[in-house]
Amino acid sequence: MILFKNVHKEYPRTGYALQDVSFHLRKGEFTFVTGPSGAGKTTLVKLVTMEERPTAGTVRISGYASDKIKTREIPALRRRLGIVFQDFRLLKNRTARENVAFALEVTGASAEQINPKVLRTLAAVGLSDKADHLPSELSGGEQQRVAIARALVNDPFILLADEPTGNLDPKVALDILRVFKDINLRGMAVLLVTHDRTLLGEHPRARIIELDQGRIVRDTANGEAAG
Amino acid sequence: MAYTSREALFAFRRSPLLTSLSIATIAFALYTLSVFGLVWRNIDRVLADVEERVEVIAYLVDGTDPTETSALMREVAAYPEVDSIAYLSKEDALARARAELSDYSALYEDLESNPLPASVEIALKSGYRDAADVDDVATRIARFAFVEDIKYGEDWVQKLDFLQNLSLFLGLVVGGVFAVIAFVAIGATINIVLISREDEIAIMKMVGATRSFIARPLVIEGFIKGVLGAVIALVLLTFTYSLLEQRVVSLSFYSPLQVAGGILLGGALGAVASIVTLRRHLATW
Ligand SMILES: Nc1ncnc2c1ncn2[C@@H]1O[C@H](COP(=O)(O)OP(=O)(O)OP(=O)(O)O)[C@@H](O)[C@H]1O
Ligand SMILES: [Mg+2]
Repeated sequence: MILFKNVHKEYPRTGYALQDVSFHLRKGEFTFVTGPSGAGKTTLVKLVTMEERPTAGTVRISGYASDKIKTREIPALRRRLGIVFQDFRLLKNRTARENVAFALEVTGASAEQINPKVLRTLAAVGLSDKADHLPSELSGGEQQRVAIARALVNDPFILLADEPTGNLDPKVALDILRVFKDINLRGMAVLLVTHDRTLLGEHPRARIIELDQGRIVRDTANGEAAG
Repeated sequence: MAYTSREALFAFRRSPLLTSLSIATIAFALYTLSVFGLVWRNIDRVLADVEERVEVIAYLVDGTDPTETSALMREVAAYPEVDSIAYLSKEDALARARAELSDYSALYEDLESNPLPASVEIALKSGYRDAADVDDVATRIARFAFVEDIKYGEDWVQKLDFLQNLSLFLGLVVGGVFAVIAFVAIGATINIVLISREDEIAIMKMVGATRSFIARPLVIEGFIKGVLGAVIALVLLTFTYSLLEQRVVSLSFYSPLQVAGGILLGGALGAVASIVTLRRHLATW
């Protein structure tokens, strides 16, 4: 489903951000990607979304290969991914409902298809009662729930989250982690980037891929590995 | 569709000044182009009209021997450029002058001697009616010693010819300059829109919007601006036209098809300017 094979990523000025990274994420799996700042976690996410291409090696995402995919095919790939960021990235002048609907609008869906789906998804993240609030009228945790709903509304096969709790209080961070766990229980794969070790402890069965200076130093799926 | 039409109006609200500038420059570009085009078109009509009658008239010295005259007529009739040739005697010339200038016929009533010369009128074939050919034929006829004077449309045909080319040139240059300004202004408007919506476009890319989905409203907006500019140009042109028509001469206007074409041209200008700018901005995904 997601396969990294000997992936290297070198940026023009800063050098290698990832070196010889290989892993395979399976259907429905919950995976943490962790590691210190600058380890290459965000770069890894960008390789999954094909915002960046590997310098060497290949990334395969559900039938798309990094060395073959054409720019005009990327939108179709993105619709199969749900993406969540640390800073929520909501449209400030639109309500929660409109922000979620936006992801469906850009796919050309009709209003009749959009409305019920948006309400169902907002319910799934526990925000039915705040559907008509603007982001400025929502707490950080609530805003992140809206962002998760937006990521989910296109029925992706995996939810990618880059430090989704980075801007939140520890207690709220746990709430958000619980949302991801709920979603995962319903069968959706989750790849959650975090450097917050307490989160890892909250989900002991999850797979952990640890990066350091661009290399995988631990992958619990391979047993406790190299380091 | 709702998205597209909603977004198409966004830039009008976002940067009214630049939007107006874009529309105005397109209007000026098309206006100058169409005014000079109209001049060109009308000169063309006059020239075509004149061409029908292009002839060379050779006035003969009084008392020219009729055998010499007929020798000239035989020789000239054999020129490949010549369509027909006719002799007009002194008497015929006077009669025609009296008929044509009936208002002034008194002038010719009490003449003691006929002041008008006999002449040979030479009409040219349709392929040989431009200034150079006419000039060439005239030069050859002028070589006959008993040809006193020769007249042909030379002067003002050439002047009209020149004016026509000048108006084409000016129209293209001035219209072109405005078109370039319009291009830049439309590009700048789109830049502002794209910068002010950077976050939104990033989100759109993230959730899987296609390039055409993002670009479409902006291209439509460029097209609308172009059409608006063209309509303004048309209003200005109609106004200019009716002023000239009233004060000067009867002129011919563009056909409805040409007007429609001009309006589409405006739209195309706006759309292409948008596409060029967008290509630069939406290169990466
Ligand atoms: N667009 C870029 N251009 C050049 N270098 C980059 C770019 N993005 C990241 N880098 C470099 O690549 C390395 C890894 O960056 P990355 O953002 O992937 O780290 P990270 O693990 O997400 O860090 P953090 O926890 O601070 O978010 C860093 O050294 C960074 O300087
Ligand atoms: Mg990062």
